[in-house]
Amino acid sequence: MSDQTTKVRAVVNGEARTLEVPNRLTLADLLRDELGLTGTKVSCGMQVCGACTVLVDGVPVSACTYLGVGIDGREVETIEGMADGSTLHPIQQAFLDEFALQCGFCTPGFIMAAKALLDDEPEPDERTVIEHLDGNICRCTGYRPIVDAVLKASERMREAADD
Amino acid sequence: MLPDFALMRPGSVNDAVAVLDEDHIPISGGTELLLAMSLGMLAPVALVDVSRIPELRRLETDDTGGSHELVIGSGITHRDVHRHREIRATFPMLAEVTAAIGNARVRAQGSVGGNLCFAEPKSDLMTALIALDADVVLAGPSGRRRLPMTAFVEGPYTTAREDAELLVEIRVGVRPSYRARYVKFQTMERPTVGVAAVADDDRVRIVVGAVGPTPVHRDFASVSEVDVDAVVADVEPLPDLAGSADYKRHLTKHYVRAAVEGLT
Repeated sequence: MSDQTTKVRAVVNGEARTLEVPNRLTLADLLRDELGLTGTKVSCGMQVCGACTVLVDGVPVSACTYLGVGIDGREVETIEGMADGSTLHPIQQAFLDEFALQCGFCTPGFIMAAKALLDDEPEPDERTVIEHLDGNICRCTGYRPIVDAVLKASERMREAADD
Repeated sequence: MLPDFALMRPGSVNDAVAVLDEDHIPISGGTELLLAMSLGMLAPVALVDVSRIPELRRLETDDTGGSHELVIGSGITHRDVHRHREIRATFPMLAEVTAAIGNARVRAQGSVGGNLCFAEPKSDLMTALIALDADVVLAGPSGRRRLPMTAFVEGPYTTAREDAELLVEIRVGVRPSYRARYVKFQTMERPTVGVAAVADDDRVRIVVGAVGPTPVHRDFASVSEVDVDAVVADVEPLPDLAGSADYKRHLTKHYVRAAVEGLT
């Protein structure tokens, strides 16, 4: 008995895709196994840790607990869509500059969560950044460099917008 | 891994009601449902995706027929609620509660309807809506019915919704003057205790959630008549990783006081 599927039309990192998606496939597995976009990680598998954070229509979701078929008619952004060719997105660059990663496993999730925040609120204060990232877990850095990176990225993005 | 299932996507409440039963269950954000399925606790024949039904996405004030009510479609997310300018102005406590549910992903993905239908004992939203005297509207094969939130919640993970029914919307009466406060204590994924206090000219309602199998509420004629010990006595704390029954009773007492003192 093969899995039941649904035809899905979605935009993934700016590219229009038409896919026949098994209903039971999570968005994380769809991205990783079907589309080869392995930047999105699965850690806890129960939407608690945030490692699988991707954006659907601009809002952060837990790809491990989201149906692949749920992206029908929607726009999906993953970590692979952040850089412009070989130019890193300001958030990615800030993570490097502030040493906001060690093993890097939580990093794509944090960066996508940060993008959702900064796209919505370009000038967050530290309290807001901390509260927004509350649902993402890191075991390596102690979080301080991550918060600093997001604040630095917001500063740079605003400077670039002012130019 | 999720079990296999059929996907149905009705375009209207009537189309959804026509297919719902114990094997064909509604899904919106899926934050609780998909988790239960991946843990092997549920294996429905079909998931009925109601997240795009326009009628379930209403978020507005309804002034028809002499009423003055806030209508929250069951498919509205927690994020939709706390960002809504009118709700922030007229129901700041509700905006505050929805802004603090789970985390940013849960708020963006999870629907208020799903939260209420799952009837998790530790739901902040249920506590807040009982305090605001909210009603729910259900649609079923024999039509629609409206009931108070207090009658909708029957027990832990149990509501008055029949398998063939769909929760359509939540309605909250807009009052001319009222004060409200929600306080909670939380160290893990869910709160240990959440207390909502709502006071208007006629009465003060205190609701204690997260501690027992369902939220408990008690009404008093005025703030000065609130009997904290009576409220604590109503609560049946469930001991768990968050604390013992005695500890939870102790927390309840302090948080009820804090909620009442914080009424603005």
